[in-house]
Amino acid sequence: MPYYGHRLSFGTLLDPVTDPPERAVELARLSESLGYDLVMLRDEPHRPDLLDAWTALTWIAGQTERVWLGAMVQRLHRRLPAVIGRQLASLDLLSSGRAEFAFGPVESLNEVEALDEAIDIVRAILDVAELGTVTIDGRHFPVMGAQRGPLPQHTIPVWLSGSALPVLELAGRTADGWIGTAAELPLANAVIDSAATASGREPSEISRIVTVQAGDPLLPLVIEHGAGIILLDSNDPAVIERFAREAIPALRVAVDEARADLPAVVPAKPARMRAKRREGIAYDAIPITLQAHAVEPGDAAYARLRSNYLRGGSPGLILRPGTPEEVAEAIAFAREHRELPFSVRSRGHGISGRSTNDGGLIVDLRLMNKVEILDETTRRIRVQPGARWMDVAAAIEPYGWALSSGDYGGVGVGGLATAGGVGWLVREHGLTIDHMRKAQIVLADGSILETSETERPDLFWAIRGAGANMGIVTSFDFEVDPIGQVGWAQLVLDATDIAGFLQAWGSWIDNAPRDTTSFMIMGQQRSARQMYAHVLTVIDSDDPETIVSRLQPLADVARVLQQRISIETYADVMANASDHYHQGQGDPAVRSGLLNQITPEFAEAASRMIQGGGSYFFQIRSMGGAVADVPPEATAFVNRSAKFSVVAFGPSRSRLNAYWNEMTPLFDGLYLSFETDTSPERLLDAFPQPALSKLQRLKEHYDPTNLFRDNFNVLTGVRSEELGVR
Amino acid sequence: MTYNHDLQFGVFVSPIAEPAHHGAELAMVAEAAGLDLITFQDHPYNPQFLDTWTLIAYAASVTKTIRLAGNVLNLPLRDPVQLATATASLDRLSGGRIELGIGAGAFWDGIGAMGGKKLTAGQSIEALGEGIELIREIWKADEPTSLATNGNHYRVEGVARGPAPAHEIGIWVGAYKPRILRLTGRLADGWLPSLGYLPDGPASLTAMNAEIDAAAIAAGRDPSAIRRMLNINGRFMESERGLFQGPVDSWARQIVELNRDYGISTFILAADDPQTIALFGTVVAPLARELAGEIVRA
Ligand SMILES: Cc1cc2nc3c(=O)[nH]c(=O)nc-3n(C[C@H](O)[C@H](O)[C@H](O)COP(=O)(O)OP(=O)(O)OC[C@H]3O[C@@H](n4cnc5c(N)ncnc54)[C@H](O)[C@@H]3O)c2cc1C
Repeated sequence: MPYYGHRLSFGTLLDPVTDPPERAVELARLSESLGYDLVMLRDEPHRPDLLDAWTALTWIAGQTERVWLGAMVQRLHRRLPAVIGRQLASLDLLSSGRAEFAFGPVESLNEVEALDEAIDIVRAILDVAELGTVTIDGRHFPVMGAQRGPLPQHTIPVWLSGSALPVLELAGRTADGWIGTAAELPLANAVIDSAATASGREPSEISRIVTVQAGDPLLPLVIEHGAGIILLDSNDPAVIERFAREAIPALRVAVDEARADLPAVVPAKPARMRAKRREGIAYDAIPITLQAHAVEPGDAAYARLRSNYLRGGSPGLILRPGTPEEVAEAIAFAREHRELPFSVRSRGHGISGRSTNDGGLIVDLRLMNKVEILDETTRRIRVQPGARWMDVAAAIEPYGWALSSGDYGGVGVGGLATAGGVGWLVREHGLTIDHMRKAQIVLADGSILETSETERPDLFWAIRGAGANMGIVTSFDFEVDPIGQVGWAQLVLDATDIAGFLQAWGSWIDNAPRDTTSFMIMGQQRSARQMYAHVLTVIDSDDPETIVSRLQPLADVARVLQQRISIETYADVMANASDHYHQGQGDPAVRSGLLNQITPEFAEAASRMIQGGGSYFFQIRSMGGAVADVPPEATAFVNRSAKFSVVAFGPSRSRLNAYWNEMTPLFDGLYLSFETDTSPERLLDAFPQPALSKLQRLKEHYDPTNLFRDNFNVLTGVRSEELGVR
Repeated sequence: MTYNHDLQFGVFVSPIAEPAHHGAELAMVAEAAGLDLITFQDHPYNPQFLDTWTLIAYAASVTKTIRLAGNVLNLPLRDPVQLATATASLDRLSGGRIELGIGAGAFWDGIGAMGGKKLTAGQSIEALGEGIELIREIWKADEPTSLATNGNHYRVEGVARGPAPAHEIGIWVGAYKPRILRLTGRLADGWLPSLGYLPDGPASLTAMNAEIDAAAIAAGRDPSAIRRMLNINGRFMESERGLFQGPVDSWARQIVELNRDYGISTFILAADDPQTIALFGTVVAPLARELAGEIVRA
């Protein structure tokens, strides 16, 4: 009684007839709406009454949303496997990860040999994680230095069909699945299993996909012969519907009964993927609810998830929960791996937050990305951590609202809203955390709690500034502001006199009304004769005269070299990030300081740093205004009197620090989100007493084993014996 | 010589793989802007791009009226029998919106790396000619005989014909040099060069047109059977600085001039942003059509 552990799934096997061409499309849509998992198209080159299967399948991808899409592709002699690899990746990307693939039946030995080569080539093209180009000097398909890619969305399995002995042996040796008829299955299993075992594979690496006709007995196929996917071979909508409504539910019940007493079986990952696993992770113990979205180094999706915006990583496992309960399960799994690095990630723009690691676990929250309107009259919204700020801005813009967050739309809600949030409207409307009214958090022990000014106020205090230390926040309720269109000015000014410019810009913005917030950026100095500053300013007004009057004094600050001024929605200003996945590398060196005034002393020191090449990206953001309306003890973001937030990215830690240390005495604390230094002294810069002690007390209460430690860990420097960690 | 074709307007969009929906989304934008055509380049050796055929099929699926074509598909890496079946299939699915832009291939190192045969320029043109004829044969689904050809590059025996496309798919060739221009005159339905590759700018078109015309006549065809198309690059600017470097009305005038002087009737703008595509479709195209109409009436 083979049982390979695959989740029982169902599909339809359709003929993409030429007349009418929409027939298969409609049947595919019907299959999807009836809950089938898979639509598979037959490809029979000798039948001119069938459409090209690949083309029809791609068309169907545009007409469906959920169902997996497969084609049994034939005519290998008319296709180049390297091109097939690109096509598979393309369909997978366009269909958001729904492509499956089968090589159609082949019978002759020669073809089997070609197939063997083709599989290797297709897999190599899709394996973007491997370095170098693909060279497989095959007899049938010589590939000499082809580039890999595109990177598919998910690991696309390669299935084979055909009942000839060499095909079955090949399937056992290398395929991810085999397709055949019910009659062929028992014998096929025997050959496949022994070929698999002989080549060091687990038979359960190969899923068994069986084509059936309505009325065929199904239970023995599943129970006795280990069928994992049942494909109904029919083009009759009535048959497809009846099968879905009657046969499938009955079969599920019967299978559950028959297996009630059997131990659960987890299908094996292919050996080539297992080989990339990291030590110390119980991959086979990943909770069932998290399995579908778990990503490990051998998976195609790994390349999209391993790194962050600014930092390269090689984690051993990425868990992607979709609900608070799943977050709790992921945390439990992390607790079992306490000795490994552990990171929490919303959208991967952490600078202080190490939301990736080497060999450890990541809980990645991007699937939890909803933005909900709770109440229109009080302007309450509920946001999940995996949303990006540009998505939040776009979702609430139709109501005439905005929530000041940061300057970059790609940044995640989770990382920013647990730390501060210095954004385009900060002078007028304060920090993002100042708008938080309630939150839901999952603690280290897995409990799911609500917190607000009235419910566990200490916890609510802590998560607004030091949230990453307390747990994983799974939703945020914010009260947002009515904001119409805003003035958006992108200017380039002559900053050749760096120090003079910084002071003049600083005093301009300091004297500007609160409706104006301005960020200033300087890059690397390219020539001693010229330095530019990018000055980006948002004015909360849609009145051109007001906007111009706010900007006018800048003309006295320095010569304006370029200007672009427009009136846009806040959402438009925020829509500045691409959907490209993160490919950060290395480990950035970034320092943060808060400043009450741009003094001549500071301006000179900054000038020396830029001229000396200590920073290739130097930014000062205006703060002040409404930030200081909130008392310092109200949240764990304590340094509220500062008028400016200063950030410098350096080419290396030592180059940057050589200049930065000179400025340190001038600062009044730091904003943790822009600080990569992990020495214990930084803790007091971010959390001046009594805040740090209070945070440490809360930490011991809510996270006694210091599980959450990837972002400004308040127990840094505290000896581990004191923490009860063994 | 204007070859008597109506003016048509399209865009040339990069088939980039990240973000994957770039091309399909711009196809929708182009359709909404009233453009006739969206086209994608095809470089299967370049993994920064999606597979162009897969993208075309997907973009066709999410649009309703716009026509789609490769600009141009790489014949050395795409088997003609397979290509004929695929284009006819998509033409049927899309209600006759597919055209076939096809090229002899370039970047032979890339082609060779993928497992394609490296050909000389002459061989690749010969292969293109054979390929086009083979494709047309496959499309003749009603011919009773199965297909057998015996070319130097493509040999088939007993291949089933069909499916038939939903409309007469135009075969467009990208060509600059005499030999392939002659092939275009002999076999193609459209000629699709790029402005940026014309050695002397638009002035080069005269001699190239003449080459095509002569070859067409020699093959017993009417030169106007071959639509003259042009891939263009440009920028919208406040004042006119050159060809397709200026305000919309100067673009429209230049289009009409290129139509009048060189018989170009399809203008395909390279653009990867929605604003440019919308401007080209909703402002430039109607302006040019209006201007051309005035000239005809005058
Ligand atoms: C290009 C860029 C621009 C930026 N601009 C601004 C700006 O204008 N204003 C500003 O204030 N900041 C800004 N930042 C800093 C940014 O706010 C932080 O880096 C923030 O942590 C990023 O959030 P994320 O979810 O994308 O990051 P992630 O890398 O996903 O997370 C960073 C850290 O936050 C913690 N974390 C994430 N999600 C949760 C959660 N749900 N619960 C508890 N802890 C969590 C984790 O410890 C993690 O290590 C910017 C950063 C970048 C890279």
